[in-house]
Amino acid sequence: MKLYKPMLPILCTMILATGCAQPPTDQINAAEQAVKDAEQSGAATYVANDYAKIEGLMGALKKEVADQDAKFALLRDYGKAEQLAATAKAEAERVKADAIKKMEEAKLAAMQAYQAAQDTVKTTQELVAKAPAGKDRAALESIKTDADALKASLNEVQMMIDKADYLGAQTKAKAIQEKGQAVSREIETALAKIGKGKASTPKKK
Amino acid sequence: MNRDHSYIAGLTRWWGAVAFAGFLAGCAEAVPQEVIDAVESVDQALMQLRAAEIAPSDYGSFARQWATLRTRVEAEEDLIRWPWESNDLELALRHLQEEGSRTVARLTEQQATRRRSAELQLAHIENRAKLISVQVSSIDSRLVLGQKPVETDLLLKQARTFYEQGLYGQSLEASDRASRNLETQAALLSRELGRYANHDHIVQWQQLAKDTIEWSKTHRAPTIIISKAERTLTLYRNGQKVLSYPVRLGFNGIREKRYQGDGATPEGRYRITSKRGQGQTQFYRALVLDYPNEADRRRFVVERKTGNIPALRGIGGQIEIHGVENELMAQTLGCVMLENPHMAFLFDRVEKGTPVTIVGALHEQNAVALALANLSARRDET
Repeated sequence: MKLYKPMLPILCTMILATGCAQPPTDQINAAEQAVKDAEQSGAATYVANDYAKIEGLMGALKKEVADQDAKFALLRDYGKAEQLAATAKAEAERVKADAIKKMEEAKLAAMQAYQAAQDTVKTTQELVAKAPAGKDRAALESIKTDADALKASLNEVQMMIDKADYLGAQTKAKAIQEKGQAVSREIETALAKIGKGKASTPKKK
Repeated sequence: MNRDHSYIAGLTRWWGAVAFAGFLAGCAEAVPQEVIDAVESVDQALMQLRAAEIAPSDYGSFARQWATLRTRVEAEEDLIRWPWESNDLELALRHLQEEGSRTVARLTEQQATRRRSAELQLAHIENRAKLISVQVSSIDSRLVLGQKPVETDLLLKQARTFYEQGLYGQSLEASDRASRNLETQAALLSRELGRYANHDHIVQWQQLAKDTIEWSKTHRAPTIIISKAERTLTLYRNGQKVLSYPVRLGFNGIREKRYQGDGATPEGRYRITSKRGQGQTQFYRALVLDYPNEADRRRFVVERKTGNIPALRGIGGQIEIHGVENELMAQTLGCVMLENPHMAFLFDRVEKGTPVTIVGALHEQNAVALALANLSARRDET
């Protein structure tokens, strides 16, 4: 018994220290904020797997805190929870950076596709303007309608970009470019065909 | 004997040490690496399947468990377990691997189903778009549809790109929109051209033609009947059919003329107001009609009042039956165009005042009605 007497204060201090163990609220809040930031940066869209992983980490963190909370006060140990919170925060910050990078790449790709589509539509419209009135009207009117439709679709691409739907904008712009090129080929063929004839004076019909 | 004893004791100690070392070595690994690798590989498979996007709840559950167990694996890396101790961490990992593998199998099947369904739907809608395009071209009604064909085409191209990228959900969504757009096109065609398939309308047109032929018989004079759906001009004399020629109409000729510049060819009873020979027309020869007549003017006023005609548009005029300006010109602006030899023959057989009746169709089974029926039948099939 004598042997333990000197150790009593140390034991008491230890019991007090562990008895006062509290969840690492600040670290958990910081991790949650980091995850929220990542989500707002488009992580769920652009780095979906990584984002799901940090959500998984947060789930594990909450479970660990709940497990410790369920224990007898003197036996609680939030060390693991602290470690999980730190990992989740660090991962969320990395995922946020990746998401921003990927989103910027997607935006750039969408803007480039949009520019290419705009150029193609402009070329098509210039070709339409060259067509003499009164010649092969059905074909030219159809082509003109198609060119107008392409121009209207360009506005949709711009709206998609404004809404940060870069993937949708990119595929739409690509489709417009392809269609624009096809229409341009069609009008060049028509122009080559009718260019041989003389232009008519417009008539009232 | 003592030597034997010490030899046996030495051997026993040596074997004991080896067994203990082996025992310790066997206990050093809390969880076999292959179990961790197997879970990691399931995680990779789930990521490749875009599980986080297509099955967020399943992947969320897996990721949460994996994160918990990974933390435990790291924490228990150097833990020594006795053989008689149960290894619940390994069991949990194996359980997660099994659960994850089941999810992988399910999602793989689900993805294959989605891919097949996206592929089938896309192919089906592409085919329907082609069919509509062919039918529309066959009756020269492309302009009736306005910008719709291009919108559909763009959606189908988008759907194809999404499909090629493995984004089957987006592909299905785009092809769904294309499908709805095609339905709108079919509805638009029915609304604009439905009169070609309408029995009452056709009976009225038939009556108009009959009256015109009767007039020719009574007055022993020539008369012309033009059917837009059949694209024919027929000359009658004394109530008897003399000839029938194929014609081309305005660039939007299948529609009923409503205002200037719409490219449509008018329908109704007209008369030739003047004959223009060579040098008097830009065309080979021309027969000028009295469009707009009283009926046209009344209809124009009503439609203008109801807002169906743009405010700045006039009623138009100078509708003619004419020859070809040059061989390269394939279409006219709202008139009726004949090949020059046919025009020459007709020109000499009609006079100023000759009645010209233009109708939509003379038969119930006309080209426009058949095209509409075909589109409707294909839609019902699907």
